[in-house]
Order: sequence, then structure tokens, then C-alpha cells
Amino acid sequence: MMAMNLLIGVLGLLGVGLYGLLIVRNLIKLVIALQILAKAVALALVIAGQISGHMNLGQSLALTVIVADTIVAVVGLALAVQVRQRFGTLDIKELSTLKR
Amino acid sequence: MAALLVALVVLLPWVGAIGVVLAGDRHPKTQHITAVVFDVLAGIAALALLPFSSTQTAISISMGGVFGEFSFTPDGLGVFLAAVATVIGCLTIIFSIDYMNGERQLGRYYFLVLLFIGAMCGLVLTNSLLLLFIFWEITALCSYALISFDNENPKAVAGGIKALVITQIGGLGLLVGILVTYSQLGSYDMGNLLSNAHTLPIGMLSWIGFGFLLAAAAKSAQIPFHTWLPGAMEAPTPVSALIHAATMVNAGVYLLARFYPAFVSVPGWTSAVTLIGMLSALLGALMALVAVDLKRVLAYSTISQLGYMIYAIGIGAIYASQLHLLSHAVFKALLFLGAGAVIHGIKTRDLQQMGGLGKQMPFVRNTFVIGGLALVGLPVANGFWSKELILESGAQNLPWSFVVMLIGVGITALYTLRVVWLAFFGERRGIYRVHDAPTAMRVALGILALGTLTTWLLAGTFASLLQATLPFHQLDAENMLEMVSAVLSAPVTWVALPVIGWGLASWYWRSRLTVISDRLRFITYAASADFGFEALNRQVVRIAQRTAIKLRRTQTGKLNWNMTGIVGGLVMVLLVVLIGK
Repeated sequence: MMAMNLLIGVLGLLGVGLYGLLIVRNLIKLVIALQILAKAVALALVIAGQISGHMNLGQSLALTVIVADTIVAVVGLALAVQVRQRFGTLDIKELSTLKR
Repeated sequence: MAALLVALVVLLPWVGAIGVVLAGDRHPKTQHITAVVFDVLAGIAALALLPFSSTQTAISISMGGVFGEFSFTPDGLGVFLAAVATVIGCLTIIFSIDYMNGERQLGRYYFLVLLFIGAMCGLVLTNSLLLLFIFWEITALCSYALISFDNENPKAVAGGIKALVITQIGGLGLLVGILVTYSQLGSYDMGNLLSNAHTLPIGMLSWIGFGFLLAAAAKSAQIPFHTWLPGAMEAPTPVSALIHAATMVNAGVYLLARFYPAFVSVPGWTSAVTLIGMLSALLGALMALVAVDLKRVLAYSTISQLGYMIYAIGIGAIYASQLHLLSHAVFKALLFLGAGAVIHGIKTRDLQQMGGLGKQMPFVRNTFVIGGLALVGLPVANGFWSKELILESGAQNLPWSFVVMLIGVGITALYTLRVVWLAFFGERRGIYRVHDAPTAMRVALGILALGTLTTWLLAGTFASLLQATLPFHQLDAENMLEMVSAVLSAPVTWVALPVIGWGLASWYWRSRLTVISDRLRFITYAASADFGFEALNRQVVRIAQRTAIKLRRTQTGKLNWNMTGIVGGLVMVLLVVLIGK
């Protein structure tokens, strides 16, 4: 039952993260959305470990995900800083240079 | 021993290719010598492999997982084609010493030619469908790069891209066939496919069969995919001789011949093969009749002759088709190299500017005429025997198609005499300085002319090799003397020879036959317009470009929009996986 509730939490986090990725136009908010998505994945791994009985495996994988997505956040924020310096804006709509 | 020789045949040209590049473009002499030495060695290895041909797998490298075993089996069919590829490869490389003399970027040229020769040998010797596909695509890549070798000439670049696109369509067919095979049988082994083909559901087998047919038609330049071959004539002439006449275009014929026993039970497959071959043989001959570019005439004639081979496979005469493949490889390489000598001598390919070259280049004329004899199918050249064998099986199995092929034979005689006459006889029409072929060219031409007159003597050996090593094929092979007496005593031969005579005579009396040729003007029009296939090609390109312009709107460059695409794709994959369960 506990796992079930947590699963709903995972779905909620996934939903918020994806919604953010599709809608948000500010680069920093985008990185936050990505983080929420990654947290959903980490939570899902822990639950999966508990359900399947390989608790250690699930938790260590979740730790790996946290480490990896910290790096993603760092690189993403660094890029955001660069974008701000070069384009003077964080709005990703302004970044497209493709012909229309 | 067989394993060593197989490895040598495939790897020696590749080692040579690397050697040529390492030698560097500043040392053209070293490059010539490296290329010749490595390919001569590969040729010797291929010839030495002939007595070792067997159904046993010589080399097997386990790749693990879904890749299966990368194995090589030197059976009769494969070894013979490897020998053809390396030996004719040798001769074209020797020819190139003179033809490509003084060319910049010689390293690129020899690298691609040698890479091609090695890939072609691998293609015919391998026993794994996956490896076959890889080698198949390497040959397509080399063909593309060599057609566009002169990359400052826009026509050459366009021709190369056209060849690449069309052969890729065929490659897609091959890939579909191979993947369906794997999904059904769980292995890429060719023997496995041949022995278990009858256990497959007929629907799946037709996917494989028609996929392979698509691949073969695109690779062997059969109608409606033939349009790339005339465009490929922008390549240096030795390349045209090697890739676009003697070896690569035969890969399609080889594929169909090898898997004929597997697909013979697929409804409509043999009739489709027969029909494609027949159309190509006839329309190719007609187009050769009206072309005014020396190399294009030969290209259309290649389409036509490949049509004969495909036709022979369709009616089940595998042996006849493979013998014609051997003959055609030799005599068409000779004709192309002869054309190369002419082009090298006078720097034009336009038949209307030639004429009367025979006096200045007697050696080239004589060898070209020998090649022409074989193309027409006159004794005692090799083309005579193999073409009569095809016609004979045609008359036995499918009489109405035999009549069509016979008309093709007549037109072949007509266009061959036309091209020989326009180039080497009659009045001189252009102003240019002429020189006869230099030594290296003469060596290549001489050996090929000798081969054209004598390879039919190998027919018996070829037959027994094929019979001994192709367990799934039913070959009505006979030894050389039996073949000679069978061909000479068959009524078909005595029908075909007058038709050839009629073709030759109608060129001789062309001025008196203007009444008829005026009536047939519409055919001339259609043939010089490529029977509309060129227009069809352009239409397809136009539609593709318009669609691309419309689809460009979906590329907004906005991050959110790209994310939508990624998430949508993920959802679709998940749905497919869920439904699959």
C-alpha cells in the first residue's frame, strides 16, 4: 500500500517535470524541471528495489542517479550563465536562429 | 589452407589500399607499383583458391549476440566471382597506370579501387547475410566515390549521388530481407536460409524474396532502377570497366542466383524476375542504339546484358546465367578499356566526333572488335556460347519470351556494329591528334582479348565446380565438349545466328532502310528520352524536395518543441513495447 502511494508520487513528479520541460521558457526553470524529473526517477528506483526485494541495488542506483543529475544541473546552469552573457536573455524562444 | 587463401583474397587489396595512401601522392610511381603488386597477389590467391572450393566454412568468427557468426565459405560460385573481381581488377589497375598518369590525388583513386576489390571478394565469399549487407554497402560507397572522383565536375558529382541514392533503395530492400530472415530463422547463415526456406510462411518468404529482388534490380541497374548506370559513366574509364561492367553490377545477379532455390516457390517471384530481365534486355538494347556517347552505349549495353542474366535466372537457367556473367565480365571489361584507350587518345567521348580511328589505333580497334564479337554473340568468342545457352533454356521453358530475347539479340548486333563503325571505321569527323594505346594499356587489352576468345573453354570446369559445391541448386551442367556439341546442334543457335546476321546487315544497308527507320522514329524518341524513366526520376526528386520544404516548418529550433518530440517519441516506443507484450 505504501509502495502504491509512493508510485502516485512518482507519477506526480514525472508529470510536473515533463509539463515544465514542455511549457517553461526560462532556462533556469527548465533546469529545475529537469531536476524534478530526475527526482521522480530516483524515487521510482528506490520503490522498485523495495518491491523486487533488491533494496540495496535500488538505493545505490538512486544514489548514482542523484550524482549524475547533479552534474547535469551544474552543466545546465553553466550553459544558462553563458547564454545570459551572450544573448542577454534566458528566454529560449529568443535563442532559435533557424529560418522560418 | 582454404582459410588462409580466403583471408588473403579479402585482405590483400585492403592492405594494398592502406599502402597506397601511406605512399602519399608525391610518389605516384610507388603508388602504381603498390596497387599493382597487391592486386596481382590477391588475384593469384583467388586463382589458387579455385581448387580448394568446397561447401565447408573456411573462416568463422563468432561476433556474439545478434551479430551471429561472420563466416566465409569458398564455394564454386563465390570463388569464381572473387577470381573475376581480382583478375579483372588487376588488369584495370595495370590499365590505370597509363590512363591515370599525371592525375592528382592518385592515392584516393587507388585506395577506393582496392577497397572495392576487397569488399567485392568479401561479398561473394561470405556466408553471413549481415556481412553480405556490410560488403554490399561498401561496394556502393566505393562506386559512389569513384563516380564522383572528378569532384570539380558537377555532372560527376550528380551522377555519384544518383547512383548512391538508387543503390541505397536497393540496400534497403536487402536489409528488410535480411532482418525478416533473422526474425524468422534466428540466424544470418545463408545455408540455413536455403535449407529452411520451405518451412517459412509464404508471406514472410515473399518479403525476403522481393526485398532481395529490389536489391538486385537496383544494384544490377535493371528497369526501373537502371537510370544511375548511364550517369555513372562520368567515372574514370577503368572504374567503369571494373565496377560498372565487370563486378559490382553483377552482385545483384549473384544474389538472385545464390538464393534462387529459396524463392522459387514464392508465387510471382520467378515471373517478376523474368519480366524485369526481359524488359531490361530489350529496352537497354534500344537505348544503346540511339546513344551518342561511346561510354553510354556501353552502359546501356551492360543493362541489356545484365537483363539477359536476370532473365536466365527467372527461367531457372542458373548455370547459363552465371556463365554469361563470366563471359560478360571479361568482354565488357575489354570493351570499356578499349573505349578508355580511345578516350585517352582523343579526349572526347562523343561518337559523332570519332570515325576512322582504326587506322591510327589498329591495336585498340582489333581488341575492340573481338569484344564486339563476344557482345554480339558470334563464335568463337565467349559471349556466343553463354548467350546461346540462355536462349536455348528460354526456348525450352518460356517460348514467347524467347522471341523477345531474340529481337534483343538482333538489336544487340545492330548497335554493336554501329558503335564499332562510328568509332573505328568510315570517315574522320573530328579534328584531333591521335596516338595508339601505350604499353600498359596494351597489356591489359591484350590479356582481356585473349580471355574473351578462350574463357568458354573453362565452361566445363566452372560447371563441375558449381555442381559440386552448390547443394541446393539443380544445375544441368555439362562438360565443355558436351556444351559445344549441344550448342552447335541446337536449332536455337541456327535461329539466333541469322537474327544476328539480320542485325548486322541492317546497319550495312541503313541508308536503304530509311523508310522503315522513319516509321520507327517514335521508338528513337522514346529511347533517347530513356523511355520516360529519367523523367520519372526527376519527378520523384521534385516531390521529395517539395515535401522537405513543407516539413521544414516542423524544425522551429525551439527547445520546448524539441522536448515535445522527444517525449512523444518515448511515449510511442513505450506503447509499441506494451502492445507487443
